[in-house]
Amino acid sequence: MKRAGAYLAAVVLGLALGLGSALWLAGLWPARSNMAFGDIDVGGWRSDFAIGSKAADPYVRARVARHGLLALAKTEAVYFTRAADDTGAPLREGCSYRLSGGQMPAGWWSVTLYNAASMLPANTDGALSIDAERAGGGAWSAVIAPERPAGEGLWISSRGADTFDLTLRLYMPDVALLADPNTALTPPVIKRLSCGEGGA
Amino acid sequence: MKRWAGPLAALLATAAAAHALTLHFAPAVIMDRAMAALAARGIALHAFTTPQRVTPQAQSVVRSSPDLYYALCRYDLGDPAARLAVRMGVWPDYQSLAFFDARTDNFATLRGTGRQIAVRLLPPGSAPEAGAIVSPSAQGVILIRRLAPTAERFAAAAEAGKADACKLE
Repeated sequence: MKRAGAYLAAVVLGLALGLGSALWLAGLWPARSNMAFGDIDVGGWRSDFAIGSKAADPYVRARVARHGLLALAKTEAVYFTRAADDTGAPLREGCSYRLSGGQMPAGWWSVTLYNAASMLPANTDGALSIDAERAGGGAWSAVIAPERPAGEGLWISSRGADTFDLTLRLYMPDVALLADPNTALTPPVIKRLSCGEGGA
Repeated sequence: MKRWAGPLAALLATAAAAHALTLHFAPAVIMDRAMAALAARGIALHAFTTPQRVTPQAQSVVRSSPDLYYALCRYDLGDPAARLAVRMGVWPDYQSLAFFDARTDNFATLRGTGRQIAVRLLPPGSAPEAGAIVSPSAQGVILIRRLAPTAERFAAAAEAGKADACKLE
């Protein structure tokens, strides 16, 4: 009887461990919810070019299904995500940042802000992304902040986002980008400008 | 020590099996839930639904881009004789017609910048045909993306979308 109880406990514990570890490693556990993962890291921007394809491993597939459903395969678009600023601190609504970059190796690009649930934050600012058309050719910069900064520059609103990440979409990627992203891509730089009360 | 070997082996085997099964079934379960959510939000079966512009107040899929026009069509090719005719109308900027199966794989994408695209989607197991794509699963989603970063461009994309079609032959 005691032996049967030990086996029963082992099975129950094994189920819990297997389920929990799979959900955690695949980013499905509620507390771990961003897309800043993958085997490609270019200046802190993470990506996995297997997204959308059968080549994706089970962890990538599960994570993308939860946080990037209906993402395109790499020949059409690649996605990079970054959740930390230049100091390594998580991006959050209480701080303001300067995002700057230049031309991208793709036909069109955009940078969009998402909250921890992978959704656009619930504000009505109409300023949740910038794209190649608005940025123009050459060097560009934008402010990420919960309030519109003074002046006419580009702005991405973080109002209502709490902690957030940024997704860089590169549509119609250059062949060189797919072959060697670390060489072909100079990703946008995120510099923290200031933080409000309680900020570091 | 020896008496714990059996339960320990059972624990490890059960954990490994639960881990693998969770990962295996997670995409299909999530896709199934997403399909149900899309249906609940009015995304039609075998028809492209005219979309609203993506805003924080109107977003039905995670990580949608506010700069793109998305038109979705759910499909069910459970009948082996079914044929789905899919057409993407003309749009002068970037546009693509992407097919996703029940396990979230993007099994085909056709880029159609400045031109119309028409193709047939066939049930799994169908023989290949010219101008047709065989779906790996009976159910899935077709998604048209159009570059439309402003309200004016989005309105124009919606007008272009009147030429889109997704219907059983």
